[in-house]
Amino acid sequence: MADLSVELAGWKLSYPTMTCSGTCGYAFEYADFMDLSKLGAFVTKSITREERPGNEPSRIVETRAGMLNAIGLANVGLDRFLAEKVPLLKKMPCPVAVNVAGHSFEDYVQTCAAMNGLSCLSAVELNVSCPNVKDGLTFGTHPGRLKELTAQVKKVLPDKKLIVKLSPNVEDITATARAAVEGGADILSLVNTFTAMAVDIHRRRPRLANVTGGLSGPAIKPIAVHLVSRVYRGVAKNAGVPIIGMGGIQYWQDAVEFILAGASAVAVGTALFVDPAAPVRICEGLAQYLDKYKIGRLTDLVGALELPGDEPRKTPYA
Amino acid sequence: MNQKQRQQVQATVLENRQLCREHYRLVLGVADFAQTEPGQFIQVSCRPVEREDEISDDLQWDQQGRPEVCGEELAGRMALLRRPFSLAGRKQTADGVELHLIHRVVGVGTQWLSDLAVGERVGVLGPLGNRFELPRPDGMAILVGGGVGIPPMLYLAQRLAGRKAVAFCGALTRDLLPMTLLEGGTAGRVDAVEPLLNVEEFSRHGIPAVISTDDGSFGFRGFVTQALERYLDANAQAMAEAAIYTCGPEGMMKRVAEVAASRGIECQVAVERAMACGMGTCQSCVIRVRKPDPAVPPMAGKDWCYRLACTDGPVFKGSDLLW
Ligand SMILES: Cc1cc2nc3c(=O)[nH]c(=O)nc-3n(C[C@H](O)[C@H](O)[C@H](O)COP(=O)(O)OP(=O)(O)OC[C@H]3O[C@@H](n4cnc5c(N)ncnc54)[C@H](O)[C@@H]3O)c2cc1C
Ligand SMILES: Cc1cc2nc3c(=O)[nH]c(=O)nc-3n(C[C@H](O)[C@H](O)[C@H](O)COP(=O)(O)O)c2cc1C
Ligand code: FES
Repeated sequence: MADLSVELAGWKLSYPTMTCSGTCGYAFEYADFMDLSKLGAFVTKSITREERPGNEPSRIVETRAGMLNAIGLANVGLDRFLAEKVPLLKKMPCPVAVNVAGHSFEDYVQTCAAMNGLSCLSAVELNVSCPNVKDGLTFGTHPGRLKELTAQVKKVLPDKKLIVKLSPNVEDITATARAAVEGGADILSLVNTFTAMAVDIHRRRPRLANVTGGLSGPAIKPIAVHLVSRVYRGVAKNAGVPIIGMGGIQYWQDAVEFILAGASAVAVGTALFVDPAAPVRICEGLAQYLDKYKIGRLTDLVGALELPGDEPRKTPYA
Repeated sequence: MNQKQRQQVQATVLENRQLCREHYRLVLGVADFAQTEPGQFIQVSCRPVEREDEISDDLQWDQQGRPEVCGEELAGRMALLRRPFSLAGRKQTADGVELHLIHRVVGVGTQWLSDLAVGERVGVLGPLGNRFELPRPDGMAILVGGGVGIPPMLYLAQRLAGRKAVAFCGALTRDLLPMTLLEGGTAGRVDAVEPLLNVEEFSRHGIPAVISTDDGSFGFRGFVTQALERYLDANAQAMAEAAIYTCGPEGMMKRVAEVAASRGIECQVAVERAMACGMGTCQSCVIRVRKPDPAVPPMAGKDWCYRLACTDGPVFKGSDLLW
C-alpha cells in the first residue's frame, strides 16, 4: 500500500488528513464515529486568553452547498483549556495542534507562551482572522502586521511548529503568505472562511445576528484550491514551507485537488458535520487513488499539477 | 470505549405516511441502535446516501486507466447539513429497531424526506442530547406539545405507559394535528377541558389527552396553554408531585414555563435551536441559561451563560432558561 505519511517542516504525520479548527471540538467529541488514531492531526477550537461566550444567536445558517457561521470565537479560554482540555489532549492517539486567536499582540503572545511547554501539543496554529480591539483591523489582512505578529509569536514558541492560518479575505493572498513566512511561520494553512451574508427575505434582515459570517463548505472549494495553488507557486514552494489545504473538502477527490495544487496535507471542517468520519474515509480514498496510479508516496503528488507553460511532467499514465 | 453511545448508520424507510396537511410520520429501520430515551434526537442526512462503504466503486476506471470520477457537484437546492429530529417513538421488532419520526415540511430537507419511498436508505446519526427526567413514581406527568413539538411527547408517552399522565396538544387547526384522532372518538367541547382517550398515540398507553385548536375545529377552542391553565386550576390538589413536559413553539413553551413556575410545578422544556454538528463541536446551538452560582465557570462573574442545546439540552429546566 502507498505511503500516506507526510512531514510538515519536520512534523511527522502518519496520515495527510487533519481536522479544521472549530469544527471538531476540543478533543474526543468524534471518538464514537472515527478511530482518532487514523487522523493525521487534530486541531482544537480557537483558544483565546479570556473565556468567551461568543456571539448572540443565531450563529449559523445553511446556504447552498455551504454554511455561514458567526460563532464569535466562543471558547473556554486559556485557564480552563489548561485545566480541563489539556488532560484530555494528553490521551489523544494522534498528533495535536492547538489553534490560538487573540485581539491584541499581547493576547496572542501570552496564550502561545503558555502552549510552548505543553508536551501534548506538537504545533500551534494562529487564527489571524480576528480584529484587533485597538483599531478594529484584522491581523491577517495586512502583511506588515501579520509579519510582526508571526515574529512575536515565533519567539515564545521555540518548541512547537508554528502554523499561520491565512484569511482569504484579502486582495493578494501571496502577500500575506509571504509576510507569514518572513515572520517565521513553519507551515501555512489555508483557507479560513470567506466573509459573507444571508438575508431573511421575510423580515428583511440578515439571517445571522452578527450580520455577516464566514462561508465554508463545498461552495468555497474551487476558490480555496485556486488560493492554495497561488500560494504554493508564488511563495511556499520556493520558501520550502508546506501548506495545509482546507476549504470545502468533503470527498477524497477534493483532497487530491488540493494536494495537486500544492498542499502537503489537508484538513476537513464543515464536512465533519455531514459525516464525522470524513477524514478517515477521505484517507482511504487517497490510498486507493495512489495505488491505482502506482504512486508509492503521497508526497510525490504534492504540487504535481501541470499548468500551461510548465515543463511537461511525466504523468503516471503518460 | 467499546460500547459506543452514538453511531452513524444507514436506515431503511419502513413507512412514510402523511399524517395531516404538513406532517409526515417517517419510520426508519436499523439493524441495531444504541439505547435511546424520550427527549433525545437524531441527525438525519436529508440527501441521497453516499456509498461510503463501497469506496472502490467510487472510482470507475476506463480502459486507459483514467478515472471517471462521479462525485456530483451541487447544483439544485439540497440539504448539506444534517437535520435534527426528535425521536417520536422506538420499537424493537424481529428485524431490528424502528425509529419513529414526525416531521413538518418547512424547507428543502424536510421536503426531501417527505418524498422518500419505502425501502429507500437514509443516513441517521445518534442518539444525541439529554433526556426528559421521568416524574416521581406517584407523580402526575403533564405533557404539553404544540404543533411540531408534539413528536417528543409521543415517545415520552410510550415510556410513561401505565403511569399517571395527561397530554395537552395544540395546533392552529385540525388538519395540522400530527396525530391519529380515533374514529368515533369525541372531539370534546370547544369550551371545556376534558381529558379523553381520543388520540391513538396516547390512548394506546392509557393516557388521556386534551386537544386544542386555535380555531376550535377540534377539541378546546384556544391556545393549549389556556387549556393547561384551566386544567391545573381545576385539579390543583392533584399537582403536588406533578411534572410538566413541554415542546413546541418558543412562545408557547415560555408561557408553559411561566404557568408551571407560578404554581410551583416542575417544568422540563425541550428547546429547538439551529444546529450543525449536534454533538457539541460547533458552538452554534446556544441558549441563554441562568447560573445558580455566578462564581463558578463557565463565564465566572456572570449570572448567566450559554449552554448548548445539542449536548446540555435539548431538555432544560424551565426555571433555568433565559430564552
Ligand atoms: C432538537 C431538535 C428537535 C427537532 N425535532 C423536530 C421534529 O420532531 N419534527 C420536525 O418536524 N422538526 C423538528 N425540528 C426542527 C427541524 O430540525 C427543522 O424543521 C429542519 O431542520 C428544517 O429543515 P429544512 O431543510 O426542511 O428547512 P430549511 O430549508 O433549513 O428552512 C427552514 C426555514 O427557513 C426558511 N428560509 C430559508 N431561507 C430563507 C430566507 N432567505 N429568508 C427567510 N426564510 C428562509 C424556510 O422557508 C423554512 O421555513 C427539531 C429541531 C431540533 C433542534
Ligand atoms: C462552525 C465553524 C467554526 C469555526 N471556528 C473556527 C475557529 O475557531 N478558528 C479557526 O481558525 N477557524 C474556524 N473555522 C474555520 C475552519 O477551520 C475552516 O478554515 C473553514 O471552515 C474552511 O474549511 P471547511 O470548508 O472544510 O469547513 C470555523 C468554521 C466553522 C464552520
Ligand atoms: S449543534 Fe454544534 S454545538 Fe450544538
